[in-house]
Amino acid sequence: MRVSNKVKKMINAYILLNMKPGNNDKAIEEMRKIEDIAKISIVAGEYDIVVRAQVKSLGRLLKVTDNIQMINGVMKTTTQIIEKEITA
Amino acid sequence: MKIKIRKRYLFFVLAFASAIISAVSSGIDTIAGDLIDNYWILSISCFILALIVSFSCSAFLSIPFNGKSIGSMFLDPSFRRIRLIRKKEVFYHILAGLGNAITTIGYFALFYDKDLGHSPSVILPFSQIVILYLVIAESITDKDTPTLIDIQSSVIVTFGAILGSISLTGTISVSALVIVFLVINPGSMLFSFYQRKLKMMKINERPNDAINIRLWNVIFALSFTLLITLIFDVFNNTTNIIEGFIASVQFFGWMFAMAFGTFFSFVLYIRSLGIGKASIAQAVRSSVIIFSIPVTIVLSYFGLADPFPTDPILLLIKIIGMIIMMLGISTFALALTKAYVFIKMEPGYPIEGTMKRLWTIKGVNRVAALAGPYDFIVKIHTRTLVKGYERILRKVQEIPGVKEYRWQSVLKEWEDI
Repeated sequence: MRVSNKVKKMINAYILLNMKPGNNDKAIEEMRKIEDIAKISIVAGEYDIVVRAQVKSLGRLLKVTDNIQMINGVMKTTTQIIEKEITA
Repeated sequence: MKIKIRKRYLFFVLAFASAIISAVSSGIDTIAGDLIDNYWILSISCFILALIVSFSCSAFLSIPFNGKSIGSMFLDPSFRRIRLIRKKEVFYHILAGLGNAITTIGYFALFYDKDLGHSPSVILPFSQIVILYLVIAESITDKDTPTLIDIQSSVIVTFGAILGSISLTGTISVSALVIVFLVINPGSMLFSFYQRKLKMMKINERPNDAINIRLWNVIFALSFTLLITLIFDVFNNTTNIIEGFIASVQFFGWMFAMAFGTFFSFVLYIRSLGIGKASIAQAVRSSVIIFSIPVTIVLSYFGLADPFPTDPILLLIKIIGMIIMMLGISTFALALTKAYVFIKMEPGYPIEGTMKRLWTIKGVNRVAALAGPYDFIVKIHTRTLVKGYERILRKVQEIPGVKEYRWQSVLKEWEDI
């Protein structure tokens, strides 16, 4: 078990997306090109896409969310910054 | 610019590529076995060459190009350059190195078993049973509990591998079976299990890289092989160590080719270990048996190995074995469900305590405490959705303070690796 905490240099965040119904494949193609995005998951439920961003600063995170919002089809983004995490 | 690909594909690409390279280099093993007198000498010269090759390849891969190392562009994106091992890695490296030394000496010992008539193919199929050893090891480390599907597919792959590589030309000796079950398989279990632990480690907040793991594994394995051979030499008044060094110079060409293939095969294998369970990576890699067929045909064409069997019944058995194996591997691939659970908490419950409780739920792969509308996001890996409810959601509900939770099944995923 590894516990990473605040001393960490990188900022990790989940960005939850609501999409307009339609051509989401194209939107995902665009997202796959964004450098600071570490993972993109298409999900079934309240949200449509969960994006995991790994950035050096909050400024960069703003840029990532900005870039995502520019993509055609993205209706709403909700950003959740990770304060502490346990991973296998 | 980094391109994200689907993690599941990458895992199989890596494990299959590793198996193909390994099939070629194990063909060369057979030739080297013919040239060298005994397995102690063969093991030592094999690891000496492995060290030379691993070191020079890692050094070459460390050369920077456009601000990145060559290795990070072609082999493992986490690789920067050759580095010393960290304190926290030492223990795992000792166990993985010991495992490699034991399994290699045992594997080569089979080459020289008189009862096998120089045909390790009679016994080697049984070394695939290491997959089952790994399943057991994973069930002991409780975070990785194998499900029924894991066990079923492992058994299918193992038996398929045994059938696929069976050869009815030699006899099966008790001593050889003892070597396989008590030496090769446990050694190989240590080897896979701890290499995986190393790959899962974070070094400077970045994932550990396969190239340094392989290099240091060879260093530790060579040290253990020298030590074990030294003990054997002292008690038996032999000079295997010196002859090992001589053999590595004498048969440099073949040994170099073997070590070169092995290096790349293992770097890819270690990377695949970083993505999936050790038992599954091993199962995919056991497809080496399929890829070794063309290698055997080529070698026997040149008279370097025993002729390939043409008996129709034997061929039928082999083909059935392979089909079974591929079915088992695809079951592994297709039967994994992932999900996110978003959790909102009532005020007044400590975050630390809730995180720990969430983490103890089996199948939970990641727990993140958040600032934002939700308090936690939990990532779940499970083989069946039924289990997802029974074992996971019910446990989430039992945690005091959970106000609201949302299950989001992952349908498709891309990731930077």
